[in-house]
Parts: sequence; structure tokens; C-alpha cells
Amino acid sequence: MSNESEILHVGIDLGTSRSAISASNGERFVVDSFVGWPADMVARKVLKRDVLIGHEAVANRTMLDLHRPLERGLLKEGSDKDVEAVRELLKHLLRLVGVSSNGKIDSSNVRAVVGVPAASLRTNKQYLRNSMKGIVDSLMIVSEPFAVAYGLNALLHTMIIDIGAGTTDFCVMKGRYPGEEDQRTLTNAGDSLDTQLLKLIEERYPQANVTIFMVREWKEKHSFVGEPPSRVLVTAPVKGVPTELDITNEMRAACETLVPPTIETMLDLLSRVEPEFQERVRNNVILSGGGGLIRNLSSTLEAALKQVGGGKVTHMRDPVFVGSDGGLALALDAPDEDWEKLTA
Amino acid sequence: MRAGNIERVKRKALREAVAENLDTIRGLPPRSLRPAHRTLRAFLRRAPLLIIPLMLAGFAYLTSSSVPAAATVKVPVQSLPSQPVQRASVVTPAPALLTDSLQTVSASAFPLSVRRVVLDAGHGGTDPGASSTSNVSEKDITLDIEQRLGTMLRKNGFEVVSTRGDDRLIPLRERAHLANSSKSDIFVSIHVNSIPQGNNHGVETYYLGPTNDPSLTQLAAKENLTSGYALADLRKLLDRVYADVRRDESQRLASVVQHQLFSGLRGVDPGLENWGVKRAPFIVLVATDMPAILAEVGCLSNEREAEMLRSSAYREQIAQALFHGINAYARANDAPQRKGT
Repeated sequence: MSNESEILHVGIDLGTSRSAISASNGERFVVDSFVGWPADMVARKVLKRDVLIGHEAVANRTMLDLHRPLERGLLKEGSDKDVEAVRELLKHLLRLVGVSSNGKIDSSNVRAVVGVPAASLRTNKQYLRNSMKGIVDSLMIVSEPFAVAYGLNALLHTMIIDIGAGTTDFCVMKGRYPGEEDQRTLTNAGDSLDTQLLKLIEERYPQANVTIFMVREWKEKHSFVGEPPSRVLVTAPVKGVPTELDITNEMRAACETLVPPTIETMLDLLSRVEPEFQERVRNNVILSGGGGLIRNLSSTLEAALKQVGGGKVTHMRDPVFVGSDGGLALALDAPDEDWEKLTA
Repeated sequence: MRAGNIERVKRKALREAVAENLDTIRGLPPRSLRPAHRTLRAFLRRAPLLIIPLMLAGFAYLTSSSVPAAATVKVPVQSLPSQPVQRASVVTPAPALLTDSLQTVSASAFPLSVRRVVLDAGHGGTDPGASSTSNVSEKDITLDIEQRLGTMLRKNGFEVVSTRGDDRLIPLRERAHLANSSKSDIFVSIHVNSIPQGNNHGVETYYLGPTNDPSLTQLAAKENLTSGYALADLRKLLDRVYADVRRDESQRLASVVQHQLFSGLRGVDPGLENWGVKRAPFIVLVATDMPAILAEVGCLSNEREAEMLRSSAYREQIAQALFHGINAYARANDAPQRKGT
């Protein structure tokens, strides 16, 4: 059995856009899920680093071979560079919580719980497991909404809707580990919203020079559905001149692309709950993930629930760590004998 | 919920999460795809072959020992219920055999090995599938043929399970789930092709398997659109099922159906081409537990054929051809059991 004093438990929300880690030593960090290697000798000389991760990588992207190793919440398969990128990302997260001060992940016994999209196939999980060999000592991979529900003690008669960058995950908690029939994953999520928003802005302002990174930032500040809380004014270069653009209508239209599939899937999953428990589930819908912060989304979903008797949708005010905190809770609760079987 | 209850639920969910991870490490397929009942069903299917000779041997022993109890059972052999093999009651009436000699055991006492058939009309609802220039939709053609075929099968003693009885979109995963939970014996998915390039005009039948043909991969991707899985995921999933024994059965079913489909339709459509039996990764074939095929019964991109498909008489011919294929497969499957008598 491992020596308790050397064990570090961590919960990791390995996200398409951002990855968060919560550790049993009280440390919590979030980084952008980007990894970049200097593109050439010049870049290496300027950056003075072999690899850049997170915000630094995004900021210096012009000099980097930039990788976003996760796609729709899953590790991209078939690319060694993406596997290397996800390994670098995980090592970075572990370094942030103090696994090793010298950058080598060898001084602690690390037990990690990693959340993945609800509909991940076993092969996706196996691929991730293989990619994490040598980085952590023991590994448990769970459905991301399950980790969220576990951390919130919401394992019974609850529906989790986790809107991330790559996927929107739905999960009805029935007091057990969710099976395939309890979960759904949609690819209508933050990234698809960004793409749509960029397209709409380019259509309206063809002269404006706008990138997906700018659009992502604007979305995170101003996203809403329904009535606009205020006009959405942003600044972007038009023919090289910084210009104020009103993107209120574009923002609403892009955000509202998430609404119909989310409502349809929510109602469909609800209809599959045993009739006597449907009301309880309807009143316990939890909106998590970055997409949960879209203004008016919870009230829009509540309005949709009225057609089946009404309900309550609660959004997490701080969704960044809700998945990794849930993973950490799982890691801490799993007994030693289970961890010994889950060697990475 | 009380704190004690929360802890109990958490422990249970955690145990299940660990078990699922251990299954992944051991390379076991997901529980929903694991055919736990297959061994039992296979046993029950063959149970009469073991139990009846044993009972007959017992009877011979009892009569030679002049045990009077044997003579008290009077139920004739014809009273054996001809229920599906998967029901345990099939083997219970065995005492009836004690009254009769070997000659009176009829082959009809043995249940059919193919009794329940899942019919899957491709597409539906907001997913029309392929369309012809004259606005004939694949979803309407497949539903009509499925209903006609269902009627024929029922008339001939089969039980039929439909994945969609009307014009609505059922996700592919749910179609497979319905097929698996209904404990059916075979799965037949009905589709209509559309190949815009050239003047294509033929029929083909698929079963699950790998393919290197990019056009088939493209076709599978198209048909798998409403599955919720990506094709890359599917390829990985396929790796686990290629070795499945049901592939042989699916291939046999596909061959018989394709033969009947082509020979049955060539009579009314001499220009029809036989595109044969092929392998492809359609999601409904991956996720079903039983022998499963997907028949492309025509080609809507061919205007002449689209016109034929508009005719109810031609759709009836297609349904008949499919029926003959399924029936031939079922009869061939029964034969080895009958030899056991």
C-alpha cells in the first residue's frame, strides 16, 4: 500500500478549451488547453523555451507549432504530436499543483481522476489511459457530468447539462454510475458557437479583421440569449484602424444556436426518466461548464420546461472548477485497494 | 436526501465507476454492448437436443426397470408449445415425451431459431435520407417497404419489432438499443442508395465489417449521421467486434437476402445490377447484438428507378424479395436442429 504522506490526489477536467486541476493539497489551477513548440530556431531563441503551454502558447502562437490536443472533449487520435501535447499539458497541470519542483514527475504517488465527455467510447478512454502512462501512478477516467454531480452531491434525481467548448454533455443521475442510456453528448457547444459568431461577424463586417481567438474572448464576456442585457460593442481593426463594432445581433444569433438542440435533448432525456421521478429531475437541472454562463440561458431552459410541467434550472456561478473539484472528491473517496487496481 | 443516504449512493456510484474503469483496462466492451444473454440464448436454443435424448434414455431405463411411474404421464407430444427458444418454458414439457416411443417425436416440436425479426426503416422525421429529383424521399420508401415486409413476416409466424412505425427520427443508437432489448433474433435495416455520379442502378446488402473502400466509408458516414458517434470512434469500436461470431451469421443472412433481392427484382427490372454482399461500418450493425444486415434496395439517384420506387407494386416486390431472403435464412437455421431428431 502507498504511503499516505506521499500521495497526491487530483481531479482533472481535461477540456477542449481549458483544463482545470484541483489537488488534495488545496491547489487549483486552470490553463488554456493549448501547447506549442517553437516553430524554428529563431522562435526558440526568442522564446527561450522548448514548449509553451496555455495562455503563453496562445499569446505567442505566431512563433509556435500550436496544438490543441483535444477535439470535442477527446484526445485527437492518430497524431503523435497531439499525444505529446496532451502529455505536456498534463505534466504542466501537475507541476502547477506542486507534484515536483524540478519539473520531473517522479517524487509523488499521484492518483488522478480525469473527466471525459459523457458519450466517450471505451476506446477513447483506453487511448487517453495509454497517453497518460508514466505521468500519473493511478488513473480513473469518468464521465465529466458524473464528476460534476459527484462533487455537488447531486447523484439522485438530477440532470447535469455541462456546456463545454467541444461538447455539451447531458446526464441524468439516478443514484448510480450513469450508463449510456442516461447520457447524451452534443457537439453543439462553445466551439461551434465561436465558429458561428465569427461567420456572422464576417458577413456583417467583411472589412473587419477578426480572429477566432478574439471571438472567443468576446463570447466569454458578452454571451446571451433572448433579450440583450446591453449592446455588445467590441473593437477590431477595419483596414488597420481600430473600429468599434456592434455585434449584439450576431452574438444573440450565435448563442441561440445552442438553444434548440439543448432543449430537445433535455426534454428527451427527461421523458425517459421514470414518470414518478420526472418532477424531481425537472426541478434539479444543473447547468455547468463555461456555456452555463450564457446570460438568460437558464431562464430559457426553464421556459421550455413549462411545456412539460415546469422546473428549475440552476447555473453554477463558478463553473471552472466544478468538474475538477468533483474529480478530486472521487479521487479522495476511492479506497486504496481500488486505486491499486487502477494503475496507469 | 439524508446524509447517510448520500454517502451510500456515492459509495455505490464510485464502486460502479471503478468497475467501469477496470472493464476498460481489461479491454472488455461496454456493458450495453456486451451480449451477456448470448451464451444463455445459445444454450437454450440447443437445450432440446441435449435434454430430449437424456429424457428418452431415462424413459428407456425406467421402462426396462418396470417402474410404474412412467405410465402415469399421458400428455401427447403434439401439445408441446411452439414458443420461441429463448423462453425457458420450451424445455419444461419434457415429461410428455415419456409416454411416446422415439417415432412419435415430431420435428415440429423443435422451436424455430429465428422467430423475432427487427425491421428498421432507414431515416425518418427530419432526416429524409436520399431524395430523387422527383421528390421521392428515402424515409418514405423504407417505411412503406418495412410495413409491407412486416405484414408478410407476421402472416408467416414471425414476430416483428419495428424500430419506427411512423415518420419520425429515431437515433441510430436507440434503434440498436430497441433491437437488443427486444431480444430479437435478426436485424434487417432497409435503405435506398443515392449515387449521383453515373447511371447507377442496383441492389446491395451489407453486413458489419471493415472496408478499405473510401466510397463505402463515405456511405457509412452518411448513414451514420444521426448516430452521435464519430466515424473515428466507430472504427475503434469495430476493432472489437470484427472477431464476433455473429459476423459469420450476418454474412450468411446478407448473402441469402441479397440473392433473393436480386433474383426477385430482376424479373420486373431486367436492367438491375447485382452489387453483391459487402462489408461496411454502419452503426446499426455495430451496436446490435444479433446477426444484422443493411439492405440498399434500390438507387434513388437513378430517375428510372426512382419512378419505379414510386409504384406500390414495385415496393411490394421488394418486400417480397426481402421476405423470401429472411424466410430462407430462418429455414436454413432450423435445419441443423431438426437433424438432431
